[in-house]
Amino acid sequence: MTTTPLHHLPRLSQVVREQLRVTALSIRLPAIALAAIAAVVTMLVIADFLRGRGGVEFAPELSLIPAFAGALMPIAVWLNEQRFGAGFMWTLPVDRTRHALAKVLAGWIILIVAVTGFVIWLLILALITKGNITGDEIIRLLPASYDPNVSAVDPSTLRTIRWSFPPVLRLVPFFAATGAYILASAIALGFRHPFRWIIGTVAAVYLTAAIGQGIADDQFWALSGKLIRTLQEGRYGLDTLLSARAESLRTVVTFSNGQRITAWRGLPVVTDWIIAVLLWTGLGIGGLSAALMRHRENR
Amino acid sequence: MTALAVQTTNLSKSYDNQSALDRVDLRVPEGSVYVMVGANGAGKSTTFKILMNLERPDSGNASVFGLDTGANGPEVRAHIGYVPEHYDAGYRWMTSARLLQHAEAFYPSWDSAYADRLVKSLDIRMDRKTGGLSKGEGRRLQLVMAMSHRPPLLLLDEPTEGLDPVARRQLLTLIAEHLADSPTTIVIATHHIHEVESLADHIAALNGGRLVAQMSRDELQKNVRRYELELPENWKAPAGLVATQTRTSPDGRDAQWTIIGDERDVAERLTSSGANVREAQPLAFEEAALALLSGERAQ
Repeated sequence: MTTTPLHHLPRLSQVVREQLRVTALSIRLPAIALAAIAAVVTMLVIADFLRGRGGVEFAPELSLIPAFAGALMPIAVWLNEQRFGAGFMWTLPVDRTRHALAKVLAGWIILIVAVTGFVIWLLILALITKGNITGDEIIRLLPASYDPNVSAVDPSTLRTIRWSFPPVLRLVPFFAATGAYILASAIALGFRHPFRWIIGTVAAVYLTAAIGQGIADDQFWALSGKLIRTLQEGRYGLDTLLSARAESLRTVVTFSNGQRITAWRGLPVVTDWIIAVLLWTGLGIGGLSAALMRHRENR
Repeated sequence: MTALAVQTTNLSKSYDNQSALDRVDLRVPEGSVYVMVGANGAGKSTTFKILMNLERPDSGNASVFGLDTGANGPEVRAHIGYVPEHYDAGYRWMTSARLLQHAEAFYPSWDSAYADRLVKSLDIRMDRKTGGLSKGEGRRLQLVMAMSHRPPLLLLDEPTEGLDPVARRQLLTLIAEHLADSPTTIVIATHHIHEVESLADHIAALNGGRLVAQMSRDELQKNVRRYELELPENWKAPAGLVATQTRTSPDGRDAQWTIIGDERDVAERLTSSGANVREAQPLAFEEAALALLSGERAQ
């Protein structure tokens, strides 16, 4: 029997704090660069405002920047780690799955802080330029029978309504960033060569589509096209997660007289967004759990 | 009975059908300095990785201070200071000071005053980025990280590799001081046997993944000897002798054989075969260790 006094393990909170510090430090240079870009954009917007142009509308849900940030964040989080094999991180006295999860959590906290900063920055821009911050607006609604393939729209078919953007949808950027982050983290941790898999998948999708088109197999082409569209712009598709469909429901239409305006094909539905968030985040958590299995202790 | 710091039983591991470890039974007594020798690919680094639970053995098991390495990976790693064979800076943007701070967060037993002392002794420049460190500087930093939490077990895989002669001497002095200062078991895998000669009290020889021999220094001195022999005409060596470095005079009457085995038993067998044993001399540590390795081949 050993006579050696046993050493203690670090507390998980301590591990998360340290991973938070390390991740924050590792992205400080891109963060400074982004802050500089934001400062330049702020000056340009204010200059525009002073020249008499309209104010900036506070509509963070329309921006895909948080979702992009969420998708790219795992690269920054894992860039310096040897994710597979006997890297330094795995030699530390922390359960490997918990350690990986602690790092994912640290990256998510930083992401949410960054998204909060981004939303506050948009709000400040809107306030400075006296833009609309309430989400209350007059919109043009296209009829249900609207066909995007028809080149010109009859103006009389559009309804003009006053619509108030549901306040809960102001949370869209946070959930968009979170969903994208969890999905991207699952890819980063699940695959030894994630970029090869991403490029390979995209290439496979395009190749399948091209072959389908080439052999004029209408049924195949229609099915694959419908599947991709459903994933992208379906009721619970990616666009619902990333912008509550505010992106895909807005479209530019051309009237018979040649005038072009922005109109809505429908209105964002809060429950659809909530279901999409649950579906995509659930999918991401499932993927992340599977990916973490690759980093468990060798029992 | 001496408690064991490290024990492996029938430990086997293969990579792509190439055996890296073949039924290895290591017994490392607590408080010993256990030197593992063997050519490249002998299985030294694989053994360390299994002890750190960075690799899963194909069969057999390993324990550190009585803890099964597979079932208690984090607890086992908390007790080990590990210097891997290859220097991996990991966070190349970090300064040495920040990297030490990072490591400190994971070891509640970290001794900051001792870390400072080691940093001064090894002349580590704390403001340098780890990505810009030379191999030797990186090695020294790794050693500080491995020793500063005063682990009861140090696993040093080629610790002097990449160091200049002065740094080598410094490092070995430091290990000796560490031993005097903290009750530690040290397992050193090295090609430079002469460097650790003054520290070693146990030795293991690995060859092609098999444990050829393991014994204490005293047993090594007793069991590996150079025999001066006077041989009769047409003499035939007794079967089963593990002899290395045989040298015979041109007339075939005088010979100098290095033989592994109990001195009395070997002498009796030689005598009964007709040889006259003039002298049986113990070998220097390095010579004896090399004899163990080449003895395996000769057998």
